[in-house]
This record gives sequence, C-alpha cells and structure tokens, in this order.
Amino acid sequence: MRTSIITDEERNKAFESLRKPEVIEKQKLNVRYHIEDFDVNDRTRRFLEAFAAILKHSNYKMALDHFIRMSAKCSRCAATCQVYQATGDVKDIPCYRSELLLSVYRRHFTMGGLLKGRLLGSGYLTDEKLREMAESFWNCTACRRCVLECPSGIDHGLITHLGRYILSEIGISPRALVVSTREQLEGATKNTSAIPVPALMDTLGFLEEEMLEEKSVNIKFPIDVEGAEYVFFPAVSDFIMEAETLMGIAAVFTATGDSWTTGTGYFDGINYGLFYSDRILERVVKKVDEETRRLNGKNILIGECGHASRSAKYFVPAYCNGEKAPPVINIMEYTYKVWKEGKLKLNPDIVKEKVAYHDPCNVARQRWIINQPREILKSFCMNYVEMSPNGENNICCGGGGGTVSIDEIRPYRTTIGGKLKADQIRKSGCEILIAPCANCKKQLKELVEDQGIECEVMGLHDLIYKAIVFDDSLIVQKENESETLKEKE
Amino acid sequence: METWLEFARGPLFRLCFAIMLLGLARIFFLDILGAYKAYRKAGDKTMPWKLIFSRSMEWIFPVKRVAHNRPVYSILSILFHVGLLIVPIFLYAHVKLWETSIGISWITLPYDWAYWLTISTIVFGIALLIGRLLNKSSSFLSRKQDFLWPILLLIPFVTGFLCAHLNVTPNSYRFFMLMHVLSADIIFILIPFTKIAHCVLMPLSQVVCTIAWKFPPNTDEDICKTLNKKGAPV
Repeated sequence: MRTSIITDEERNKAFESLRKPEVIEKQKLNVRYHIEDFDVNDRTRRFLEAFAAILKHSNYKMALDHFIRMSAKCSRCAATCQVYQATGDVKDIPCYRSELLLSVYRRHFTMGGLLKGRLLGSGYLTDEKLREMAESFWNCTACRRCVLECPSGIDHGLITHLGRYILSEIGISPRALVVSTREQLEGATKNTSAIPVPALMDTLGFLEEEMLEEKSVNIKFPIDVEGAEYVFFPAVSDFIMEAETLMGIAAVFTATGDSWTTGTGYFDGINYGLFYSDRILERVVKKVDEETRRLNGKNILIGECGHASRSAKYFVPAYCNGEKAPPVINIMEYTYKVWKEGKLKLNPDIVKEKVAYHDPCNVARQRWIINQPREILKSFCMNYVEMSPNGENNICCGGGGGTVSIDEIRPYRTTIGGKLKADQIRKSGCEILIAPCANCKKQLKELVEDQGIECEVMGLHDLIYKAIVFDDSLIVQKENESETLKEKE
Repeated sequence: METWLEFARGPLFRLCFAIMLLGLARIFFLDILGAYKAYRKAGDKTMPWKLIFSRSMEWIFPVKRVAHNRPVYSILSILFHVGLLIVPIFLYAHVKLWETSIGISWITLPYDWAYWLTISTIVFGIALLIGRLLNKSSSFLSRKQDFLWPILLLIPFVTGFLCAHLNVTPNSYRFFMLMHVLSADIIFILIPFTKIAHCVLMPLSQVVCTIAWKFPPNTDEDICKTLNKKGAPV
C-alpha cells in the first residue's frame, strides 16, 4: 500500500481551531464550563502506581511479558495503519506507540529492566513521556488492523487500550467520553445522550405514527414487556439521530412476529468504557445485564452499533457469570437469520442506487459479522459494489476508539484519520454507503461532507425499511380507503 | 588456537547450547503458565480455537499474508528463515558431529542443496539488512540489536561456507572454524534474551492475545481499594 501523505494545506486545516476567535468570545457566558480540579503533581509516580494496581488485578501482565520479547521492528504495521498512511509521521507507527508503554513496563516491572535501569541510571519516567503517551494513544482509532499484520502477533490495540486505561486512572481522558459516561452511570437519565424516559416514549410514539402513515402497518416499539425473547439496546443516540434505523428494526420484528422489547430502566447500548477504562466497561455492561434480568429477557439484542456490540458480546460473558450470562446478538445477526428462513421479504425494485457496505471494525475484525449483511444487501440491491480491502481487513472509518465523540477534533478525523476511507469511498463511486454502526455513521457523514463526496450514509435497517414487504394480513385499511370502498358498494 | 577451538567446540558449546535450551524452555513454560493463570481468572471461558489455530497457521506458514504488505521484504524474510533453519540442522557435517557425541543422527542435506541454501541465506540476509536500513519506518523503529542481528546471524554462515569450500592454510581454516563456533555460541546465549525468542513464542501469540482480552470480573472494587479511590465519582 502506498503512503499518500496529506498536503500542508490539509494539515493546517486539520489542526486549526474549528471556530473563529470572535465566535468563541461571543459564546463565553459567565458560567460556561465547570472546570474540575485535576492533579498534575507527581503524575509519573501515580501513573506507575495505577499501572501496578491494574497489572495486579487484571490479565495484562502475561500479555505484556509476551510482547516485550517479541517485536521484530519490521514496521509491517505501518503499512496498514491509516493514521500513519495519512500523516507519514513515524511517531504514528503502531509499533512505536506500543513501545512507549512497553518500555515503561520493561523498565519498571521486569527484573532485567530494573537492574539495567539502576546500573545505567536511565529510563526514568518523565512528564514529557506521559504527554507523548497521552497524545499518541488518542491519535490511534483502535481499529486493530495492525494486529492482523504483525508477524509477532503483538496486539497493538490491546496496548493502546491498556495505555488509555492507565491514563484514565490518573485523570487523563477525553472530556466528551467522561461527561457522557458520568450521565450514564450517575446521572438522572442513565444514558449517554441524557434522554429522559418521557422523551423516549414521545419519540417512539411519534415513530409509530410515522410508520403507520408510511407503511400502513401497525409497527410498534414494545416497552417493558416481561419475558420477551430479545431485550433491545441500541446506541441511544439512534433515538435522536437515526430514526430510520430504529424504524427498520421495528419493521423487521413486526414482519417476523418475534417478541422483543425496550426497557425503560436502561436502554443505552453505548459503552465508552471500552475506549478508556475497564472499570467503566464493567459497570456499564452490568447495567445491560441487570435490565435484561429485570425484564426476564432471554437474549440481549444490540442495535446497529459496533462498539456496543463488541462490549456486550465479549464482555457480558466476562463480567456477568460466564456461561450463565444471557446470549448477546447483534441485530444484523437476527435479521440475517430471519431473512435466511424466509420470514423477511424485501422488494428488489426499490433500491436502484449504487450501494456499498462499510465493515465496522468492532464487528468485522474478529470475523464475527462480515458476510451476513452483504448477502442480505445483494438480494435486494441490484447495484451492489464491493469496496476493497473489506471484511477482516477493512479500513477504519477514521473515528474509532471513541475519537468520533470528540467534536473538537473533527478536522483531524476527516482529513487525517479518515483519509484512506474517503479515498476508498470515492473510488467505489457508491451513492449509498451502508455503515451499521452509530459511531461510523457519524464519522462517515462528517467525512463525506468535509471531503466533498456525493454519498448518502445510512444503516442497514434504513435500507431494509425502504424495501420491506409486509404480509397482507398485517396491512391496515386506512379510514379514508374504507369509506371510499363503502361508497363504491 | 587449537586449545581455543577445542574449548569453543566442547565445553563452551555445551554451556551455550544448554543456556539456549533452558532459557527457551523457561520463557515458553512461563508464557503458557501465565496464559493458564489468566484463563483461570477470566470471566469468559469460551475460546475460539478454530480462529486461533487458523491464524497461528497463517503466520507460521505466511503465504497468505505476504502479497499486499511489503511483499519483497516479506518474501525475502521467509526464504531467509528457510535457509537459516534448515542448514544448521540438516547439514551433513553437523549431523556427523551430533552422531559422534550423542549417538543420534538424522537425514542430511545433499551437497548441492547445502551449497545453494547457504549462499542464498547469506544473500537474503544482506538484502534484509539493506531493506531495513533503506526503509524509512523500519530504520526509525529499529534498535541497535535489529541491525546487529542479521550481521551476527550471517557470520556462522559465511565462516562455515569458507571452511567447507575454500582451500586455505590449516591456520586460516582453524581461525575461520573458531569464528564459526564462537559466533554460534554467542547466538545461542543471546537467543533466549532477545527478540529471537520468537522462535518458541510465536506459536503462542494468538492464544496469549485471545486470553488477554478476556478480562477478569469484579476488578472495579479491587483497583479502587488499591488506589484509594473508593466512592470516587466517574
């Protein structure tokens, strides 16, 4: 893969402030932000203490012991990292980033490192190094493409994940993620978008009316149903921003007749703990499990969201009793299953545009969901094109790892992080891009806007909603139509 | 010179070989033990063995992974490894030495194969070193040992080739043979303590990474207690 480095103009645009100084001045109110006290003293000591505490109570130590001996420094990872490919800055090479943390581990937590450090009087952790780590770990989108290319099998994504975890323990984390999580775990509304339950009910009621109007079918969002087969947890931002996706999901369930529900006790699949702290990851996952048990649901159903799916699928069993935990299913798996069984009918004459599919990293990298949505799309989209590379080797949207939630770095995300993806989309010439992940959708919408690409980004179920064909028994006669029929008789 | 040679081929060789074997065994078993302990602590006990096995095989025989990422360097590296592993183990002269010392022998390489494999290993080794020097990202990442290792690994090949195929005076022969054995001894000692340990650790990488992502449950409270953060807000 050739490196296509960004121009100086693009670099300046990426790093300049989003808003003009006059605008910022006007927005300054008497009390705008509550500035929290944060401790900058003794950061290096606190970092090492946090590192030691985490190593003691986790499984990272054996992985780090393995990684410190392995690296061949071959830089194969550099060729697949879309951040390095865009900036050409050697400090963006995944192996270099991992070495920042591994060198600290080697020096302070291995016998050889300790002896060597004492002998040579070297390798002490400094504030500059901490700053470099903080900058570097959050430049990474945690897409883990580099992991597939490392011949030594070093998981750079895991090291970035651990680095961010340790930094969060000493108070260095992106504000956007922490504020949302605070609302989710300790706030009144208990979700990252601060949607109160009455607003949720209003939204769902409105969507039900819309769907009756558009499809002449009574499509409902069941609420707090006990013993449902599936308890639904979308990315809660979908309730505000991605109504068509939710309507598509509700339409599929109406077509199949399976029981599902949303719980008013907790309805947010988003889990920012996956991005910045394992302790938060655990606490949020437990809330999902708790709500499912409250409703006696059989399965946890995650909506179209990559990181929410991954946090639930791999960490519900980890934190909620292993084999006894409720099974976790992504909505695309469910839709694929019912489509294969013939319970879902899709009209092949509706979608005429060129459609391409973007694999969200969190569901594709471990070969979990790759072919299922493609098979569905190919069955009713006559002009389906495949982008390449795809599947397990897909290119990250550029907003992964929580970076999409940080609005301040939008120029960075759309000119650097997402550059390779933008080139790929442009090359495919697609008019509709299916991105079944809430974060990818936001990032890709911003990407196509900033990069000037004519392409509509939507979820899989948005398109399914357009093409779904209901059984005649479900169609509701509208009042006007029945009156007209009566008159005719 | 002769006593040096006797020493290098005898007690020193035995010591270095033992250090290599014991060192590699130590890190191999520690790795597996660490993985096992982590598995015991993990909350999620499911292991995708099929994926782990297929990915491990993909890397031990890396034919699929070569084409789209630094293909020339990757192919050279694979061919280099082939010669590097086959020649020392299956060379007739080496097998004869093992037979006289421990009484066990195994199949040996035909003369021509050994000849050409040795030359190709030397050529590929030099090519890899040049590749590492000239590539911007590789040379930035590489530590001193990454540049020194290809040179060190080639010394036994070059000296061995000279001893086997060149007509030299007995003193020169003994000198090259001494370099051959000493360089091999140094390599053996360094193997368990440097990145060459990947020879035993690489097959375990996929298992280690899979288990590393299986976090143990209920660590929130423990970490808060250790760091004195009980009851702190998010």
